[in-house]
Amino acid sequence: MRSHIQNLFIALFLLIPLSVSDVAAESLLSGEEIARRINARNEGEVVSRFITMAMTDRSGTERVRETKSLRKYFGKEKRTIIFYLSPSNIKDTAFLTYDYPEADRDDDQWLYLPAARKVRRISASDRGDYFLGTDFTYEDIRKETKVGIEDYSWKTLGEETIDGHRCFLVEEIPVNEKMAQELGYSKVQSWIDAEIWMVRQAKYWDVAGNPLKTLQVREITLIQDIWTAHQLSAENHKTGHKTVFTFKDVNYGQSVKDEMFTEDALRRGY
Amino acid sequence: MACSYTHCGILALAGWLIAASALAESTPDDTKSSLLSNHRFSAVLESEAAYGTATDRADKMEFVLDPQWEYRWSEDTRVTGIARLYTEGFDHLEPGRLSQGEVSPNSRRLQLGDRTDIELREFYLRTRLWGTHLTLGKQQVVWGKADGLKLLDVVNPQNFREFILDNFDDSRIPLWTLNAEWSIGGGNLQLLWIPDRTYHKLPQTGGTFAFSSPLIVPQAPPGVAVNLRPLERPNNIATDSDIGMRFSKFWHGWDLTVNYLYHYADFPVFFQSLHLTPGGATVTVNPRYVRNHLIGGAFSNAFGNLTMRGEAIYNTDQFVLTRNRRDGDGVIKSGEIAYVLGLDWSGMQDTLVSAQLFQSWLLHPAGGIVRDTLDTTTTVLLRRHFLNETLDAEVLWLQSVNQGDGLIRPKISYELRDNLKIWTGFDLFYGDRNGLFGQFDRNDRLVIGMEMGI
Repeated sequence: MRSHIQNLFIALFLLIPLSVSDVAAESLLSGEEIARRINARNEGEVVSRFITMAMTDRSGTERVRETKSLRKYFGKEKRTIIFYLSPSNIKDTAFLTYDYPEADRDDDQWLYLPAARKVRRISASDRGDYFLGTDFTYEDIRKETKVGIEDYSWKTLGEETIDGHRCFLVEEIPVNEKMAQELGYSKVQSWIDAEIWMVRQAKYWDVAGNPLKTLQVREITLIQDIWTAHQLSAENHKTGHKTVFTFKDVNYGQSVKDEMFTEDALRRGY
Repeated sequence: MACSYTHCGILALAGWLIAASALAESTPDDTKSSLLSNHRFSAVLESEAAYGTATDRADKMEFVLDPQWEYRWSEDTRVTGIARLYTEGFDHLEPGRLSQGEVSPNSRRLQLGDRTDIELREFYLRTRLWGTHLTLGKQQVVWGKADGLKLLDVVNPQNFREFILDNFDDSRIPLWTLNAEWSIGGGNLQLLWIPDRTYHKLPQTGGTFAFSSPLIVPQAPPGVAVNLRPLERPNNIATDSDIGMRFSKFWHGWDLTVNYLYHYADFPVFFQSLHLTPGGATVTVNPRYVRNHLIGGAFSNAFGNLTMRGEAIYNTDQFVLTRNRRDGDGVIKSGEIAYVLGLDWSGMQDTLVSAQLFQSWLLHPAGGIVRDTLDTTTTVLLRRHFLNETLDAEVLWLQSVNQGDGLIRPKISYELRDNLKIWTGFDLFYGDRNGLFGQFDRNDRLVIGMEMGI
């Protein structure tokens, strides 16, 4: 009898960690599932906003650009256009991108340079190049707060708290060397809010494995029932350069014509 | 002149009628940010100096102030005005009083002495009316995908004061134009009516970049006097207007355009006649503008690290100088097919390598013409950004394959502050003095400049 009870206790003792482990496994979602939830987050069919881009170099010299940005979904295809409003010497510069849902289809990008008054097609494989002097890459601009699921292998490392919010810590490794070269990263670690599925912080390593930059997403509030980040900052640890995007007048309800997302709209300006 | 004023009055009235309709139809945009009050003022001050390394003299010291005003009635309707105050310290580029014979009276610069002038660069109303995007007024219309040399970018004429060294945005001469665009069939149809009869502003005799190449300027045989007659300009606003059409469409990843322009070619044709008098032979040169149909198209697409772009055109009436003395007027008329093919490679971060091949082929060449039947020019551009695009380094190389001459332009620019950019570079010409580039072989120069946004 004693040995039966003893065996039962032993069995229960052995089961407890298993059960705890199961619970932990359930709450610690897989990296791919977290990425899917990030991309499934509602970001509105259309959004219109002003973005102030403040760039500061190591010596503290600041450059500020005021821009107007429009984004619209055409089915699953995302189109974004950004018009530069100031300073006057780069005013009217404009950038247009078509982000396709198909993983094997290159995105399309155009840049309007007022000095030439011509729209220039940009290679979509410039994904890892920095966008017009900022610390955000063309890929960052295109994805906004979404992620490229197929570009990385995803692994959940654990949970941590960022600014008082429970976050999953996920490690992303580019699927191959070519992709790493294309994106400009060998590894990314992201802290993803477990409630609203938005990246709150991310750290990037360059292709040589050195710390490259840190992204922070702040001032996240609900606008028209959509979680909206009002400040994105990226600090490059190699150059000491920092970029802060501040979003103003975010509006998900504005009517935006389809023809705003064309090469001709780039020329006509905002 | 009275007729000209009448036409201007009718144009202005029509413009105001359309503007009034647009303003009535548009509702004020109350969702605008505080960033966008109805009025926007800005200005760009640019100064550039050049020192001729071969001539050992300062060639240029210019100051250009471009104030810009914009009044925004609504999201779709706005009025833009850009003026230009231009002053030149040495008066070498356009020496003396400007002769503005190529420019229509309504587009001329107001001269304040030999070295300073004021110009209304652009002044237009942009609106959307009955599904049509309208841009009415003095403006630039830019077609094409090529860099550095022009095939389709011929809607607006150009000021050749600095040959092709000046920024095209600055050297392009805006024209009074009615520009209407519609969204049709998933594409964009643009129609142009250009009553402004302004043509290329060619450098004056004595100017640093005055043309001397026999490819452009007729050469009188030794001992023959030349009688250059005044330039004949088209003078009928109705029958001498230019009209243009462009249809553009994004199709399976390709940016495609089809273009048509019925215009006066912006270079005058130098018709010549030889007269024998008791005092000797005299060549009378009658410069005159000639009509041309331009039919063409452009494309671009991206494939991985490569972007491919191109233009092709057919000109129905191209005139070429001839050395054949039995030719009646010193020029021959031919059709021309020309194209440019460009490849941009951006496989290295922050780096652009771009190469272009231009070819022009005369369809009906005749013996004695001053140019080859097939004329080829190549360009290579290397550009790299540093320090978050605050520092740019580039080299542009243009080479005429036929003449063996060319131009090399290394340049470094640095964004000192948010709205302040400085640059320095060289313009280095080389080759046969009969060539388009080689004619300026003695004009190599060191350039320094600054641009400030206000």
